[in-house]
Amino acid sequence: MNAAPLAFYLAALVAYAWHFAKRHAPAGTAATTLLAAGVLSHTFVIGMQTMEAGHVPFAGTTAAISTFVWLLAIAYLYTEITTSERAMGTFILPLLAGLQFIPALRPGAEERSEILQGPLFGLHVSSLLFAYASFALACVIGITYVLLFKEIKAKHLGFFYARLPSLQVLDSMNHRAIVIGWIFLTIGMVAGVVWTGQVRAYEALDPRIANISLADPKIFVALICWAVYSFEVFAARRIGWGGRRAAYLSVAGFVIVLLNFVPISYFLTTSHNF
Amino acid sequence: MRLLLVGISHRTAPIELRERVDFHARGLATALEALAGRGSTREAVVLSTCNRSEVYAACGDVERARRDVADFMTSYHGIDRALVAPHLFEATDLEAARHLFRVASGLDSLVMGEPQILGQVKEAHAAATGVRAAGPMLNRLFQTSFTAGKRVRTETGLGSGAVSVGFAAVALARKIFGSLKGRNVLVIGAGEMGKLTALHMKSQGVERVMIVSRSMAHAARTAEAIGGALAAPWEELNAVLGSSDIVITATGAAAPVVTRAQLQAVMRPRWNRPLFIIDIGMPRDVEAAAGDIEQVFLYNIDDLQATVQENMALRAGEIAEAERIVGEEVDRFGAWFRSLDAIPTVVALRRRFESIRQAELDRLDFKLSALGPDGRARVDEVTRLLVEKLLLTPTEQLKALRDAATVGQYAEALGRLFNLSQAGTGSAGEPATEDDRAATPEGRVEPFARRKNRGPL
Repeated sequence: MNAAPLAFYLAALVAYAWHFAKRHAPAGTAATTLLAAGVLSHTFVIGMQTMEAGHVPFAGTTAAISTFVWLLAIAYLYTEITTSERAMGTFILPLLAGLQFIPALRPGAEERSEILQGPLFGLHVSSLLFAYASFALACVIGITYVLLFKEIKAKHLGFFYARLPSLQVLDSMNHRAIVIGWIFLTIGMVAGVVWTGQVRAYEALDPRIANISLADPKIFVALICWAVYSFEVFAARRIGWGGRRAAYLSVAGFVIVLLNFVPISYFLTTSHNF
Repeated sequence: MRLLLVGISHRTAPIELRERVDFHARGLATALEALAGRGSTREAVVLSTCNRSEVYAACGDVERARRDVADFMTSYHGIDRALVAPHLFEATDLEAARHLFRVASGLDSLVMGEPQILGQVKEAHAAATGVRAAGPMLNRLFQTSFTAGKRVRTETGLGSGAVSVGFAAVALARKIFGSLKGRNVLVIGAGEMGKLTALHMKSQGVERVMIVSRSMAHAARTAEAIGGALAAPWEELNAVLGSSDIVITATGAAAPVVTRAQLQAVMRPRWNRPLFIIDIGMPRDVEAAAGDIEQVFLYNIDDLQATVQENMALRAGEIAEAERIVGEEVDRFGAWFRSLDAIPTVVALRRRFESIRQAELDRLDFKLSALGPDGRARVDEVTRLLVEKLLLTPTEQLKALRDAATVGQYAEALGRLFNLSQAGTGSAGEPATEDDRAATPEGRVEPFARRKNRGPL
C-alpha cells in the first residue's frame, strides 16, 4: 500500500528537479500537484492502517518512518504554500522518496504490544515524529543556505543565486523550523520519561522496559540531539553563530536524527525497539 | 486585408530624431484619430516609447498606406519628410507581426530583455481600443504579441539578472537581506558614485541612509542631495559601521579607509549580522582580506561589473530560445492571417450553395405544400445541414492553404467550377465586406462560423 505514495513522491521529485533546473512554471505546478496527491494517498494509506489496527500505525520503526514521511510532506507543503517558495522541494523530495522506500518494501502493520497504549505514548511518538520532520526541513533549508552563501561569497552568482530565496529568508526559515522542532522534541522526550515511569510496573510483561535507560543507544543519541538543538536555539546566535554556522548545525543535528531513526532503530537498540 | 508597419527606432535613428517623432506629447488618441482621418488605413495602433515610434496598420491597399503612413509620421509632427525618410523602416504582413512580437518580448530593446516594453505595447493597444482604432486584425495581432512577450519572460532567462552596476548592487543586497525595508545604509565618501548607489538603495525603501565623509560639510551636502539622509562625522565611522547593514564606499582615498581588523572588531558586537559592502572606490577603500570575515560580503566595482557581464552573457544565451518562441507565435498568427485570404471565396461558395438550396426549395414549394409546418421545417433543416456538410471539408482545406498565390489559384478554380462570379462577391484577393464576416463579440473575425437562427420556410 505504501507504494502508491512512493510513486507520487518519485514523480514529484522529477517534477521539482525539472522546475528547479529549467525554471519551467508548469513543471512547478505539476510538482506541487503530484506532492499533494502523494500526501493524499499517504493519508489514505495511514487511515486504512489505522482502521485495520485500531490505532495510528507509528509503533514500529517501519510504521514510524512512514508517518514521519507523511508529516514531513505535510510540513513542507505548508511551508511551500505559505512562502510561495518552491525551490526547497528539490532538496526535500529525495529525502521523502528515499525514506518512503523502507515502508514500501516492508509492508504490513506491525503488532503493537499492550503496554504501548494510552495517550502518553501517542504524545511521545507523535511529538518526536513532528520534531524530526521540522529538523528535516531545517536541514534542507540549511543546505540551501550554505549553497547560496558560498556562491555569494565566491562572487560567482550562478545556479543557486538565480533560484533560491534570500539568505535572510533562509536563515529565518531555518531558525523557525529549529525552534518548532526543539519544542516538540522536548515535549516528546518528557512524555517518554513520564510514560517510562508509568510502565515500570509492567517490567515482567516486557523485558525491554527493564532495559530502558540512558545507556540505550537510541535514548543516548536522542539526548545528544536535544543538546545540539538546544545550543542552536538558545546559544548559537548569542555567540555570533547565525547564518552559515546555524545552517551547518541544522545539517549536523539532522544527520544525528537520521542515524538514530534508521540504523540505530533497526540494528543497535536493545530496549527502545517497540 | 494586409498588415503594415512603419516606424523609427533606436536601431535606425539617433535620439534627437526619435524625440521629434514622439507621439506621446499630444496623446496617442489624437494621433490615431488624425491617422484614421486620412482614410488609407482601416485599423491602426501607435506604439511610442523613448526608443521607438511605430505605426501598425491594417489596410486594403498596402502601397498607398505605406506612403500615407510615412507621410503622416512626418507631417503630424511638422518635420521635413526628407529628414526622417532615411531612418524609417517598414514591414508588411507576417514580417510586421514578427517585429511586434520581438518588440513585446524585449528582443528589440536597447537593453535586451528589459521588462517595461510589454507594458508599453499593452498601453498602445489599449489607447487604440479606446478610440476604436484597433479592429479584429490588430486586436488579434496585439493579443498574440502579449502571449509572445509573456512566454519569453516566463520560459526563457532573457529578462533575468541585473544589467547595470546599480541594479546589480540592489539585486545582491536583496539576495542577502530579502526585503531592504528597515535596513540601514552607510555611504563612506561624498562622491557622485556613492550618491547614485545610495539613491538606488533608497528607492528600495531602506530605513536610514547615513553619509560619513572626512569633511562634515561635504557629508551634509550629499545627505541633503539624497533627501532624507543623515550625515555623521568621520570619528563616528566605527559606531555607524556597527549599526549598518549595507555599506557603500567611494572615497578616492589612496589607502584603504576600512581595514579587516576594524571590521572584525565591528562584527563581534553585532553578533555577526550580515554586512554587505560595496566598494566602488578607485583605488579600493576596503582591504580585500575583509571579505574573508564570516558574514561580510565584500564586492568591489569589478566584481559588480563582472556580474553585469555574466548577466548580459546569460541573456544573450537566451536569445535563440526567445526567437524560437517568437517564431512559434508568428506561425500561430500566420495560420489565422492566411485564412483571411480565403474568406471571400468561402463566402461566395456559401452564398452560391445557399442560393441553389433556396431555389430548389422554391421550385418544390408546390410539392412540399402537402407537408405541415413541422415537416417543412424539417426539410429546411435537412437541406441546410446537407449544404453545411458538403462545404465543411472545402472550407477547412481553404483555411489551411499556406500562401496567397495558392489561395488565388484555388479561388479561381472554384470560381469557374461553381460560377461564383454570379454569386455577387469580388475575387479572392479582395477583402470581404464587413457583413460577410461573422464577427464574434470579442471582435475577432471568425470567417467560417456557421450561420444561426434561420427561420423555417
